[in-house]
Parts: sequence; structure tokens; C-alpha cells
Amino acid sequence: MAPNTINNWELIRRGIIDENTIFRLAISLCPAIAVTSTLKNGFLMGVAVLFVQVMVNITIAAMKNFIHPRIRLPIFMMVISGWVTITDMSMAAFAQEAYKQMGLYIQLIVAFASILAGAEMFASKSSIVKSFFDGIGRGAGFLIALVIISGCRELLGKGTLLGITLLGGAKPLLIMVLPAGGFLTVGLLMGLFNWIDVRYLKGRA
Amino acid sequence: MIGPRDIVKITLNLVVTYIIGGVLLAAMYAFTSPVIYKNAIKGKRVALEKIMPEADHIEKLGDWAIHDRTAEYFIAKKDSSLCGYIVESYGKGYSSYIHVLIAADTAFRVKRISILSHAETPGLGDEIEASWFKKQFTKKSTAQMKVIKAPTDEYIQAISGATISSRAVTEDAAKNALEFLARTTKGKADNGTEHNQ
Repeated sequence: MAPNTINNWELIRRGIIDENTIFRLAISLCPAIAVTSTLKNGFLMGVAVLFVQVMVNITIAAMKNFIHPRIRLPIFMMVISGWVTITDMSMAAFAQEAYKQMGLYIQLIVAFASILAGAEMFASKSSIVKSFFDGIGRGAGFLIALVIISGCRELLGKGTLLGITLLGGAKPLLIMVLPAGGFLTVGLLMGLFNWIDVRYLKGRA
Repeated sequence: MIGPRDIVKITLNLVVTYIIGGVLLAAMYAFTSPVIYKNAIKGKRVALEKIMPEADHIEKLGDWAIHDRTAEYFIAKKDSSLCGYIVESYGKGYSSYIHVLIAADTAFRVKRISILSHAETPGLGDEIEASWFKKQFTKKSTAQMKVIKAPTDEYIQAISGATISSRAVTEDAAKNALEFLARTTKGKADNGTEHNQ
């Protein structure tokens, strides 16, 4: 499949469904477990990743002709860490209130495989516009996956959503907010999406 | 195959990219760091006023060192009589040094604590900012700065999944700060009486 022949909406859909970072490609599972104990955390992490993914994709696509294929990974890492640091510093300086909420997540993004995957698999061989839409798709797919995982975990593990108590009567399952619960949730959701795919969507694509 | 020309190209490619990246980041740092520094100072001043609302005058007494960092300590007065102390402190957490402000009364019991900054794990360690955790410190003495993994009125209950962060705030930052305060201000008071004699 030549990356430049897919239309933009197809790219977004692919990032969210067919090539969903968490449920399909099973990469970046580390943040998917570490920061999804509450819905707020999952959402903010997803937004931060979406932004960095789009910026990195655009940058890599813009400079793809200058990158020697043998050393593309060190250059990708430079671009990723550069964008993460720029985002971190400028938010700390000019968006203090937002930084108080999101500062913890931004620095973690440097090590995310999902960003590197976007750069390596798509942006390094595609145009800037296509890479922008691919970044939106991948980032949105990651964001949606994190929102689903963190929603399940917060609801079952604390009985709340966004801090609002919903399951007041039941005793929450503490294991769900601990890392072990993260593995359980991601595994079960991955299974669920595979099951839906096999049962209802097979043959469509 | 890689020939000599490729080696030169690869080297140039890496050098140029990294120099451009480095220069961009350095420029960004030069541009933002004064603002970040000012923000941190402003944040500390706001936190100082918030942590001791009963005081009408807060005065810096001096600096002290913890974990190789410089921290300040203050005296709080109301109608020019002593109503407590505020100490800045650091605790070694799971993934960062937790920057804490502690308000103590004249008997060196905690009045309030405030978390100024940290980089603990989101969702686990960052619960040190939650009010239920911080409220536990009120009216507790140095000897009660101990983390317990069960509900307790006597000591401080750990955050589940974040015992290290809880300990850092309690047994490291707060305990050391209270001990330092007791040591220093008692010494100062003694010196004062000696001078008067």
C-alpha cells in the first residue's frame, strides 16, 4: 500500500481503528498502563501525545529528504525529544495552569514507541499533509484507547468517573487502579476488540 | 553497501541535525527559563500566603540545606507576636524530589502542608497533592511523621500504590523540616536570652 494514495479520512480512520496503537499494534503499552488509573490522567496523556505525534510527523515529513536512511533513528529521537522539550518548556513558561495538570505527562512522551512508529512507518516516506492526517489518526487512536482504558479502570477501581462518585454503594476493586489491573484491562479490551473484529467485521476490509 | 562517501554523508547529516536541534533547544531554554524561574518564585510567594492565612507578617529567617538543595525557612507573626513557622523542604520520592512547604505552630506541630512541585507517577504518586492526604498532617508532631499502610489517626496513612511518594513527603521532607526547625529556632531563642543577660 503506497502511503501517498490513501485519502486523508482513510488515514484518520486507520489510525483510530485498523492500526490502533494500543489495541492493534500493541505498542506504547507502558503508558497505557502507567497513567490510566483515572479518566483525567488518561485523557490528558492522550491529548499530550496527540499534539507531539502531529508535530513530530510534520517535522519528519518535512526533512525526510535530508535524512540518511542508515541514521534515521537517532534523527527521529532528536526530533521527538526536541518537540517534547519545547512543549514542556513553553507550557511551563506560558501556560502555567495547564502545565500544572499536564506537566507530569509531557516529559514521559520522549520514550513512547507510538510516536517513533508514526515517524518510522509513515512520516519518513510521506508528504507533509498526509503525515499530518496520519499523526491526527494515530494520536486520536491513542487518545481514544487511553480514555476507554482509564474510564474502565477508574469506574471499577474507585467507583468514580472524573472524580464524581457513580458506584457509591459497591466497594471498589483496588486492584484495578494498581498496575496489575492495568494489564488486566488492556488485555481484556484487546480481546474484546479482536472478538468484535472477527465476529462482525471480518471480510469487510 | 556503505562506502567512504556514505560515512562522510552520515556524519555530516548527524552533526548538522544535532547542531540545529541543540541550537533550537538552547534558544528555547534561554527564552523560557527566566519566565519559568519567575513563575516558580511567584508560585512560592502565593503558596506562602496561602499556607498561613492567620499570619499577617511572614519574614524570612534564613536558608537550610536538604538533599543538596537550598531551602528557605520563615517566621510567621500575627499582631507582631509569633504564631508559627513555615519551612520549605524536599523529599526524595519515586521519580523526583518532591518540593514541599510546611507550616508549623510554635510547638512544631504541622498546621498545613503544600506540595509545590514534583514529578511522581501520574495516577499513583501524584495523589500526594490530594487534600485527604495533606489533611492527615494537621496537628501532628515530629514523632508522628510515620507512614502506615492502614487507616490511622496517630500517624500518616500511605497512598495505595504510592508508598514511596507518601514516605518521601512524610518521613523525609516533613520530618527533616520539623526536626531542623526545632533545632534551629530553639537554638536561636537560647542565644537570644544569652544576649539579654
